[in-house]
Amino acid sequence: MPTQLLLKDDCKELFPFPHIHEFAIRKINTIQLDSFKKQASGCLRIYYVSEGRFEWNIDNRVYILYPGDLAIILPGKSFGAEKDFFDIGTLSWIHLFIENEGPDEKLIIGNRSWLTDSERTTISKVLTNISSPILPRLKEAGTVFQVLLHEFVRQELGYTARIHHLVDELVILISRYLNRQNSSQRDFPKTFMKLEQNLRENLSHQWTVEEMAAQVGLGTTAFSEKVKSFTGFSPVNYLINIRISEAIKLLKRSDINVTDIALDTGFYSSQHFATTFKKLTGYTPSEFRKKNITDS
Amino acid sequence: MDCIITIEIGTGAIRVVAFDLEGNSIGSSKGTYPTFHSRPDFSEQDPEQIFITMLYMLKNFLNEKIHPGKHNVVCLCFSSAMHSVLSIDKNGIPLGNAIVWSDNRAKKEADDLKNSELGNFLYKATGTPIHPMSPLNKIAWLKNNDKERFGLTRKFLSVKTYILQQLTGEYVIDYSIASATGLLNIHTLKWETSALQHAGIAVDNLPELVPVFYSSLKLKKEYQHSLGLPGKTKIIIGSSDGCMATLGAGVYGEGKATVTLEESGAVRVISKQVLQDEKQRIFNYLLTEGNYVSGGPTNNAGSVFEWYAMQFGDFKRAFDLEECMEDLIRDAGKVPPGSGGLIFLPYLQGERAPIWNANAKGVYFGLNIKHEQRHMIRATIEGILYTIYSIGKTLEEHRQIKSLSANGTFASFPFWTQMMADIFDKPVHIKQGTGSDSVALGSFLLSATEIGLYKNLDEAAESVALPDSFIPRTENHSLYMKHFVIFERLISKLRDEFDSISELQ
Repeated sequence: MPTQLLLKDDCKELFPFPHIHEFAIRKINTIQLDSFKKQASGCLRIYYVSEGRFEWNIDNRVYILYPGDLAIILPGKSFGAEKDFFDIGTLSWIHLFIENEGPDEKLIIGNRSWLTDSERTTISKVLTNISSPILPRLKEAGTVFQVLLHEFVRQELGYTARIHHLVDELVILISRYLNRQNSSQRDFPKTFMKLEQNLRENLSHQWTVEEMAAQVGLGTTAFSEKVKSFTGFSPVNYLINIRISEAIKLLKRSDINVTDIALDTGFYSSQHFATTFKKLTGYTPSEFRKKNITDS
Repeated sequence: MDCIITIEIGTGAIRVVAFDLEGNSIGSSKGTYPTFHSRPDFSEQDPEQIFITMLYMLKNFLNEKIHPGKHNVVCLCFSSAMHSVLSIDKNGIPLGNAIVWSDNRAKKEADDLKNSELGNFLYKATGTPIHPMSPLNKIAWLKNNDKERFGLTRKFLSVKTYILQQLTGEYVIDYSIASATGLLNIHTLKWETSALQHAGIAVDNLPELVPVFYSSLKLKKEYQHSLGLPGKTKIIIGSSDGCMATLGAGVYGEGKATVTLEESGAVRVISKQVLQDEKQRIFNYLLTEGNYVSGGPTNNAGSVFEWYAMQFGDFKRAFDLEECMEDLIRDAGKVPPGSGGLIFLPYLQGERAPIWNANAKGVYFGLNIKHEQRHMIRATIEGILYTIYSIGKTLEEHRQIKSLSANGTFASFPFWTQMMADIFDKPVHIKQGTGSDSVALGSFLLSATEIGLYKNLDEAAESVALPDSFIPRTENHSLYMKHFVIFERLISKLRDEFDSISELQ
């Protein structure tokens, strides 16, 4: 198996993978001037260091990478070596095409991705909110690159499916790592408050438990258990609890109509709002409004 | 079967507990709500979210545990955290969030009033130390800094008043909660005119005063229907969480004190007299007419140990703080008392009793090269309990204390409770199992007295059995005291440095 492979989008090996713009595993033995100049690109670029020490400039900041470190460069950000050439060592990288879909710039990882729409939305959010482009000690990514290389070189039966899966795996690996990094997994109250605030700021969004769990860096089962034991509510009921509390505040201001209140606070419809509201309080929203504004 | 349901509106959570008429817990349920800090000094909660959380928890609890078990709810009894302020307008609509006890915005108002002639008079008249926590200073802050809200405010309520008003339509406040506002004269049981003048308000800007046994409130029809409770269900207004915890710990009469160890902590006694402390270190709140709960609160109890665990503990499982704390305590037990001469001042959040210094800070003192993590853990716990001890000593200047009754999450660690017995050189009792929630038990005892199961609160408190006793070990006590004298000296020697470092933070 070669230790060096560079595939560009005009190579026939990449024809079955329109979303992969470039894939490489390279061993660099000699310094070549201007071999790695700083430039922006429309791709999502992922670079993994397996040997050597690399001094890179990402979005006008300098970072030093050691074996096991991974760099992730968002579309539109400039990236290259600080001294414009590759340092000596071994690198793997992949460039993925990103399509902007709608206002939330959803990340599209090829049509063959098995990620669901809501998972892609969450991943897209995680990637666009990273605090540092360097993910230290992510050795598992190195393994994925090795298997990718293997599949590209051998092209055995089923290799296209495997490559699609491996690209998904790499993206998932990175997103999970970022999620865990975002929350130290120690201070649940603090982590939950961050999520709480996010829910409040986007109350009309149709949150799923998966999305909420991803923000905390937990799986849905562990997340639901943790939320239940900390708050006394299931995640969905906690969300409804915030929605109704916000709705009550709006109901007490007489200048907003009930349908607007329902939609602003994330209910599907005014009927959905009225049913949920009456079940808990015994009042319909309009009765509540009438009976709670005048007593003093 | 008849049952009594207690509802605690705590600092961060609603707790609903049901008891049979013998005081055995039938079941419980808890729901939390967040505290918002829109500025570093601000601590606020959303009154609507508290109300909805209470309603949701109560309704589900009734539907899951009480109605299927064919229990007949004799009464609901409320307790709540002290010192909250909520402004409502002429239509009864909240003007912003409730300002809760930990809010420090009124620091300047408190500093200006403290040690003034009026301040000294108000401490004696109201029993509440002059501090940003008290509604007196919070309302004064609104008057000085939020003129718009102050001008639109028809009434200033406590959170409990608001919740009860939502359920029943009446604006009432019990003497216990009122006695922690800094606005009530605890000797005459009337709103103190000079305090009201200072805050810029009149009597009709406050809810109506009623005794803790007050039970004339009626649930609105809609809530009777949605909760499945008949209109005849009694609603007892109840008291504050602190007073209820003291009662529920069986502390009533001479020689006993209770220590509460939650995130914050307190040492309290009940007496027939107000304890007038010259240095104004002690609060005096009313439980019932002529019965005062006196004591001192600390900001730095369990919250400090949780901080330590979250920074330095080993988390084997994501967010499993409990397991992490248990491991730390096991390690602390491997070090002898005194932590090898390492002393910790636990004032990570400033301090109330007994030093009342908002600028106080945390300090590890005496570190040497031989100290290991476990010395630091043990020193951390010792420092927290030295503070509890120093509050106890302040109370002992006024009252003899022969034994302690401990409650709260951190009192359920035997290592802490034994250390407390050793430091105080007094036996410590704890109530085990679900009954360790002494706020709920206190609410039960108060309700049971109101409906005639006990003659009075003395008899009710005597019924509290406290089986688990931790006996002090004298050799440990003398060792702790050698460290405690240094602990106390450090506090006074560092006073100026606390101020200086605060300016850099």
